[in-house]
Amino acid sequence: MFSSKKQATPHLDSSVVREFLQKTLPFNELDKDTLDGLARHATIDFFPKGVKILIQDVSDVKHIYLIQKGGVKLYLQDESGQATLKDYRGEGSVFGALAIIRDSRSSLTVEAIEDTFCFLLTKDSFLKLLKTHPGFSQYYLKAFSENYIKKSFSELRKEKLPPKTEGALYLFTVKVNDIIRKRPEFISPVDSIRNAAKRMTRMGIGSLLIKDEYGKPAGIITDKDLRSKVVAEGLSYSTPVEEVMTSPVETISANKVCFDALLSMMSKQIHHLAVEDEGRVIGVITSHDILVLQGESPVYLFKEITNQNNIERLYELSMRVPLVVRPLIEEGAKANNITRMITVMNDLILDRILTLMQEELGPPPVPFCWLVMGSEGRQEQTFRTDQDNALVYQDPKNEQEAESAKKYFKMFGQEAINHLVKCGYPLCPGDNMASNPKWNQPLSVWKKYFSNWVNTPEPQEVLHSTVFFDFRPAYGHLALGFKLRDHLNILVRGKDMFLRYLAQDCFRTKPPISFFKNFLVERDGEHKNRLDIKARGLVPFWDFARVMALRHGIDETNTMVRLEMLKKGGHMPEDLFLKAKESYEFQMQLRFLNQLQLMEAGEQPHNYINPAELSDLEKQTLKGAFSVISNLQSFLKETFRLNMG
Amino acid sequence: MISALSSTNLFLQSSWLPGLMRPEPKHPVLVESKKHFNKFNQDLPLEEYDFVVLDTELTGLNHKKDEIVSIGAVRIKNLRINLEDNFYSNICPCNEVPKFSTLIHRITPRLVKDAPPVADVLSDFLDYCGHSLIIGHNIGLDMGFINRELRRYFDGVLYNPCLDTMRMAKIYREEQWINYYDRYNLNVSYNLKHLSQEYGLPVFPEHNAMNDAIQTAYLFLFLIHKLRDGNIKTLKNLYMSGRSWRWMF
Repeated sequence: MFSSKKQATPHLDSSVVREFLQKTLPFNELDKDTLDGLARHATIDFFPKGVKILIQDVSDVKHIYLIQKGGVKLYLQDESGQATLKDYRGEGSVFGALAIIRDSRSSLTVEAIEDTFCFLLTKDSFLKLLKTHPGFSQYYLKAFSENYIKKSFSELRKEKLPPKTEGALYLFTVKVNDIIRKRPEFISPVDSIRNAAKRMTRMGIGSLLIKDEYGKPAGIITDKDLRSKVVAEGLSYSTPVEEVMTSPVETISANKVCFDALLSMMSKQIHHLAVEDEGRVIGVITSHDILVLQGESPVYLFKEITNQNNIERLYELSMRVPLVVRPLIEEGAKANNITRMITVMNDLILDRILTLMQEELGPPPVPFCWLVMGSEGRQEQTFRTDQDNALVYQDPKNEQEAESAKKYFKMFGQEAINHLVKCGYPLCPGDNMASNPKWNQPLSVWKKYFSNWVNTPEPQEVLHSTVFFDFRPAYGHLALGFKLRDHLNILVRGKDMFLRYLAQDCFRTKPPISFFKNFLVERDGEHKNRLDIKARGLVPFWDFARVMALRHGIDETNTMVRLEMLKKGGHMPEDLFLKAKESYEFQMQLRFLNQLQLMEAGEQPHNYINPAELSDLEKQTLKGAFSVISNLQSFLKETFRLNMG
Repeated sequence: MISALSSTNLFLQSSWLPGLMRPEPKHPVLVESKKHFNKFNQDLPLEEYDFVVLDTELTGLNHKKDEIVSIGAVRIKNLRINLEDNFYSNICPCNEVPKFSTLIHRITPRLVKDAPPVADVLSDFLDYCGHSLIIGHNIGLDMGFINRELRRYFDGVLYNPCLDTMRMAKIYREEQWINYYDRYNLNVSYNLKHLSQEYGLPVFPEHNAMNDAIQTAYLFLFLIHKLRDGNIKTLKNLYMSGRSWRWMF
């Protein structure tokens, strides 16, 4: 009896839905009639925050859910009940479509993270749409194959099963343990070189370990030792091996990944590493073993750089660094891995340049140490970072030596900077470089600088501290650099005044989240509406790690390592550390990929990102990352009692 | 008049008792629904009831002489808004549409000149309502006008139980009170638009009976899930939620 329904005036009929669809991808491409048809069958549902809208493997999906207002998160749960976050969806996004297309139950759990209103489009009208509008179905298939299926499912598989057979990820997933081919071969230290060579030939190996009197490895002898130390030097073959062995043996823990082994070899410029497991050497790996895994790239470049005897050739090799780094990113390397790799490469290039320069200019009158600062000092270099370096040399014994040292190092610094510029590292706009006479001084002067900065922390001094106190000895007589570090640690100890100034300085950057949970972006200029992720997102982490490391006498300069040591030392709470680590890594990654994209598009890499171009997931994660900055800052406030005057 | 109505209960089952003395209504739907709602079951899950969310536009607020110029309604089934299942009609009033009301709802005298008279529209509307429960924002006002006309033409009133989203919003607000003095906060509004903005609902243009009905439907969905921390499962629960301890002391 209620069937005689009054027909509504058409202009009011479901126009709410249609207008919304017209603003939403990919619906906006449909014609009005189709949209009206779709809208007519739409219903509206509401899900309060926290409600599970769909449950993985349980929910029969009867609708496409189009979010009108609010937001949801999607996650996967494995058998053990562990949840892996897959995505966030916001207004205008759709969920439930995959299950409809595959005619299966929901493959993910969907939970409302805000009060959420959804338009529910019926299964039938959606399927019909896919059939009749090829462009429409393409959008979804593309979106699924690119984002969903690939991202969610294979990502999860990768996380759960270390892909030993799957070629792509070996450097970062294969453990050192897995590439040991034989048990280690030992020889006694008093055995002759001839015996060692015989044994190596018979076993077909390139190195032997030397056992000390306690049965521990005392050293290693390699093919290269036989060549360079024995044959080339004309040593008698009956010389005991202990005289030519390399000692101590560089080791690596068996549960490290091959990438770490590679980095270790490259930074120490060696080709063999003893693998240690619970204090016992269980094998030896060589750069060749890793090369076999890797097939291509960083190792070759590494070899080419180390064997280069011509500075001009280095310019070109340095340009190849981004090229070898790219495949690493494709293989799934984290920003932290990449920046370490770039740092190692840059250090190698620096090493070659300075060594070759000394061959040209003659040996320096007194030992010196090349210091790198800023991001280089923290081993967090991305592509083409400005130069930040300085030179410290041993205090001359007399006037004459002082004069010649001054002359030599001035020339040396100037020339080194020129070479580095040609290698593609731009000049430092603040002139914090070894070519600046102010930053090219004997140890005693440097110590005086540091004392001044710490004792009278005026703004300029604090600024210097933020640049220079991340220094790292990179080349030459490293002990000079370490002495300077020790001096700094002693200086800072108990200097609450200075540390408080430095801590205060950490508050000059406000986290870029405005009160309304939107991003604060640059208001004008070239980078209008973009976010400076370095200045606003990363600097606070650097500042935090620096001031805390100084406070607790931690020598490390790398931000992640600093944070780790702070946590280990009980100087920062575990949960704050975990949050900081996650958000820092994420921001580094984002910045990195952004720069890589710019470079590949032929633009100058910079630190500005456009929030509008981020996915919902990235936006959400970034917002979370920024909120950690407030946590760090309030922790500093408490630690340094900054709120008490 | 508004104040008198807003103090009525969540359920405006307006004329049960007097209804016993009255003659049978003249409209078949009213006869049937009177019977139906006399033995109405309040204990079913909310999903099983159908609701009609309605809004009217009037020539003014005087319940003796002002008239309805448009009526809009949308159905909620399964606790989902069913936009397609809607009702909208302009109504030709007996008297002129005053200018000040036109300025509010943009319904001009010309626009309603050719519209059907109120008896026809209400007859259709009764069909549309059927056994659905009625929802409205400050529903007492709308029902006052509708029932006045129903009495005049059909000797009956709508027997369908009514739910008032304004009343629900007040209960919800009281649930949110944290300290004693919150209740003296004078800076609160129960205006439909203000509430929708406060709760972060999608907001539609005001003063069109259809849009306001949809807006009210959104508000209802929000409140029904939010009241009592989402523990309202049956109609009875909802009714009881209005009788919290706050009313006993």
